[in-house]
Amino acid sequence: MTRPFSGRKDGLSLSEALPDRSLFALVAMMGFLAALTVAGASGARALSARWSGGAAQLLTIQVPDADTALTAQNGPTTRVQAVLADLASLPAGSEVHQLTQPELSRLLEPWLGETDNTALPLPAIIRVKLPVDTSVPATLEQTLNTHVPGTIVEHNARWGERLRALANSLLACAGLALLTVGGIATMITGLATRTGLATRKDIIKTLHGLGASDSYIAGRFAWRTATLGFGGGLTGTLGACLPLLLLLQMAAPFASTPLTAPDRLLPTNWQALAATIPQDMLVALLLLPFAAAFICWFTTQIMVRLWLLRLP
Amino acid sequence: MIRLDNVSWHRGKKDSAPVLAHVSFMVPQGGFRWLLGPSGAGKSSLLSLLHIENLPSDGQMTILGKTVAQEEKRSALVRLRQRIGMVHQDYQLMPDLSVADNVALPLRLQKRPEDEIQDEVHAILKWVGLGERVGVPAAQLSGGEQQRTAIARAIIHRPGLILADEPTNALEESQACRLLDMFAELSAMGTTVVVATHNESLIRRLERPFLFLERGRLVEDGGAQA
Repeated sequence: MTRPFSGRKDGLSLSEALPDRSLFALVAMMGFLAALTVAGASGARALSARWSGGAAQLLTIQVPDADTALTAQNGPTTRVQAVLADLASLPAGSEVHQLTQPELSRLLEPWLGETDNTALPLPAIIRVKLPVDTSVPATLEQTLNTHVPGTIVEHNARWGERLRALANSLLACAGLALLTVGGIATMITGLATRTGLATRKDIIKTLHGLGASDSYIAGRFAWRTATLGFGGGLTGTLGACLPLLLLLQMAAPFASTPLTAPDRLLPTNWQALAATIPQDMLVALLLLPFAAAFICWFTTQIMVRLWLLRLP
Repeated sequence: MIRLDNVSWHRGKKDSAPVLAHVSFMVPQGGFRWLLGPSGAGKSSLLSLLHIENLPSDGQMTILGKTVAQEEKRSALVRLRQRIGMVHQDYQLMPDLSVADNVALPLRLQKRPEDEIQDEVHAILKWVGLGERVGVPAAQLSGGEQQRTAIARAIIHRPGLILADEPTNALEESQACRLLDMFAELSAMGTTVVVATHNESLIRRLERPFLFLERGRLVEDGGAQA
């Protein structure tokens, strides 16, 4: 004889009708894929934001024969001074900086080595940072070349736009991948729920006859699938953490925060690496198990309530 | 109170032959009716309509003072169903649950406190003679024990209407008589009771008005004659 009041309240026995293995494992796989996709989306979003923000507002201007004298309206001046005078007409808030000799040497060091005393005729480099929401005047390059022939204007925005478009398309792909993963999770949950309903058909009819409401029956099924979904989502997300950290380590040289390039596959300084994980990605990863639970809960609620409509 | 006015019910499409056709009768609150008729006459179908497992295809049905219609809100039907106790011919017990858990179901669905539920369950199981079998899974009970468990489950929440489909089939004569006395007692206390049976000795023992069905039609209403 068992205990009179066993705690098994209604005979649905959902741990048998909706077994752990299948739904849990499949949602875990979906969680793993979703975690990788979220990381990819987060990376693409960061790149897009960076390129559409800072990088797109940068201009690099090269002035060959910078110290050569030039006759201007206001009297004799050098070529670089003439360019700097023209740049004064840029939108208010623009930052104009002519690279100093040490800065120039550091810039060219990878190609020329120690260049403090190079005999090469180096151009003057002027870096311009425009304020956000302003653009380079269309006639700038023409104006500069009229006053100082041979001046080269390198427009970062041109590359920035292309890279931003690439990042946005990556972001869209990540969004579609997430939708697909969500759709598959919905289908898996729907199929599991349908199987559970089929195996518990008679018991549900009896409970319905005893006065169980739709929300009670749907809630019992939904709670079960949501629990499995949460467990699966958590397992999948945790499973994705190691590959994500490895990918982060590989992507370190491209990160906005300076990190040393990896010299081995496994990172040595985990703490420093973890600190580089973007905040929004961390939040998204933490939310994944809850999202999986919600998808399972919602799908099951709908499925069971639709099924119950066949009973008056 | 139960009232049916010209009620018909079709099992599938409306153009199929009706299982119940133009049934009209009235049972007052606290009334008792035998439901009689040959096999296939529609007794179980009429009970399932009264239990709101199905809704009438035509006509008007009032159960416990509430009119039941196709367009009724589901929550209203659930509340109404909670006020009805039904003993099915096949008992419809949860095989994995103990006798006590089976009987406790209607109270649990009404979210009654657990200690209150346990007291009520022990009392009613003692009354139906299953006081020593409270922890046994329903699947391990004999036919008679299953029937008594189903009866206990049907009456534990003191419903306003009790419906029973051949409730004495698996019972011994003495238990069947005891059950009848209980139904009569509940009826006297204001519960409406409808019992479908073939057992003529029972009908003779408890003389009450009857409803006689034949081929889905009500051919005799003893209550109306009374």
